[in-house]
Amino acid sequence: MLRKLMKHEFRATARIMGPLFLIVLVLALAANLALRFLMESDTFLPNLLGGLLMAAFVIGMVALAIMSIVLMVNRFRTNLMGDEGYVTFTLPVSSHQIVWSKIIVSTVWFIATGVVEAIALLVCFFNLDVMRDIFSSEFFRQAFHALHELIKEYGLNVPAIAIELIVLCLLSCAVLCLEFYAAMAVGHSFANHKGALSVLFFFVFQFAIQFISGLFFNADEFEHMFNAGMNGMQAFHQMMAIFIGMELVIGAVYYVITTFTLKKRLNLQ
Amino acid sequence: MAILECNELVKAYGHTPALDHLNLLIEPGHIVGLLGPNGSGKTTLIKLANGLLTPTSGQMLVNGMVPGKDTHAIVSYLPERTCIPLWMSTRKLLDFYQDFYADFRRDRAEEMLQHLSIRMDQTIRQMSKGTREKVQLIMVMSRAAKLYLLDEPIGGVDPATRDYILNTIINNYDPEAAVIISTHLIADVEQVLDEIIFINQGQIILQSSVDQIREEKGMSVDALFREVFKC
Repeated sequence: MLRKLMKHEFRATARIMGPLFLIVLVLALAANLALRFLMESDTFLPNLLGGLLMAAFVIGMVALAIMSIVLMVNRFRTNLMGDEGYVTFTLPVSSHQIVWSKIIVSTVWFIATGVVEAIALLVCFFNLDVMRDIFSSEFFRQAFHALHELIKEYGLNVPAIAIELIVLCLLSCAVLCLEFYAAMAVGHSFANHKGALSVLFFFVFQFAIQFISGLFFNADEFEHMFNAGMNGMQAFHQMMAIFIGMELVIGAVYYVITTFTLKKRLNLQ
Repeated sequence: MAILECNELVKAYGHTPALDHLNLLIEPGHIVGLLGPNGSGKTTLIKLANGLLTPTSGQMLVNGMVPGKDTHAIVSYLPERTCIPLWMSTRKLLDFYQDFYADFRRDRAEEMLQHLSIRMDQTIRQMSKGTREKVQLIMVMSRAAKLYLLDEPIGGVDPATRDYILNTIINNYDPEAAVIISTHLIADVEQVLDEIIFINQGQIILQSSVDQIREEKGMSVDALFREVFKC
């Protein structure tokens, strides 16, 4: 059933994200052409048009990132807390499956958004002299050389770092969803002022998590996790493990709040 | 076994009880009218049976089970207002119901949609209010469920649509199943009911067969309702 929930969640979201991806990529192409031809021109009108196209591209990139989060929030609000909730909550599925389907699909869209934005940037600057200048510059060469030295000097395990960063990135996406879901689930469990209470709970949860994290990082136990004998790389891995562990704990807390509220305090009106 | 059972069921919103120690037993094989004035607790009772609300105290059982994903598989629910996603086309809605409900009979749904000349590529948003309600009812009645919970299925539609809706309910109803129709428009549904439940201020005040009312009281359900709930 999780698979089916995800299939329909993708259907519901792809109709918005798909066209947005296309628009951003077209804008990237337009921005590339604008940089190449229009902005090189000496006359006013092509310059203005080129400037406008570049502005549209930048706005498109920002809007896409914002939309992926707005869509995640909005899907939860309308599909579960709004009228559609009557249909969703009477499906023969558990609330765990519903929440997981939303987390997984939103995370996929966050990652896809990142990939599309990266592609859009590449398209925008493709084959431009400015890019060639940057990549062939002395600074870039030296920076690359320094990175190489760093890997050799400290024995950087690049694949391990990459895996840690990917895991942390995926977890952060899921936790981002759950932060909003928990606030909305609790906010909507009240009879009145559901929207305002959702916003209030979002900040209350944020404050609580920041406060507890602050206490943890200031605690003696945290310092004891790093002993003097560690080299830089070991300390880095230790730090990553702590970050991943913290995201897991925070995510689990939000998940329990969300599913418990949806199960025990559901209050559709 | 009863398809729907309530034991000392209480649901309170704040300090106001919507259902007050309600006891009820409904057997399969009947079309039951859940009748009561506005605010009597009809919708609350139906929402509790669907697990959309949780009881304050007491017990609600559907086919012997607490409402949850297992009961959702055998209960077909028509909410009081249109709740199907507006962005979906009729075809996508059919896919949706077919994917989630093993008892969904797509051919029957398509036949009814065709009869009403509803296009497959038309989105729910493009439809009129009456058409949306018909489409939602078609989805609900195209399931071979054990229990149908229909909350105000004829509220807010014209008399011709009312007839269509009631005919759809009768033609698609499996005699082994139970149908519970909540409404205050009694004269319109009376013809299709086997049994009635009068509910007021969160309590059952009468549960009887329609024939019994006619024989013993010598009046229609509508007339009895007007007498019992006289303002």
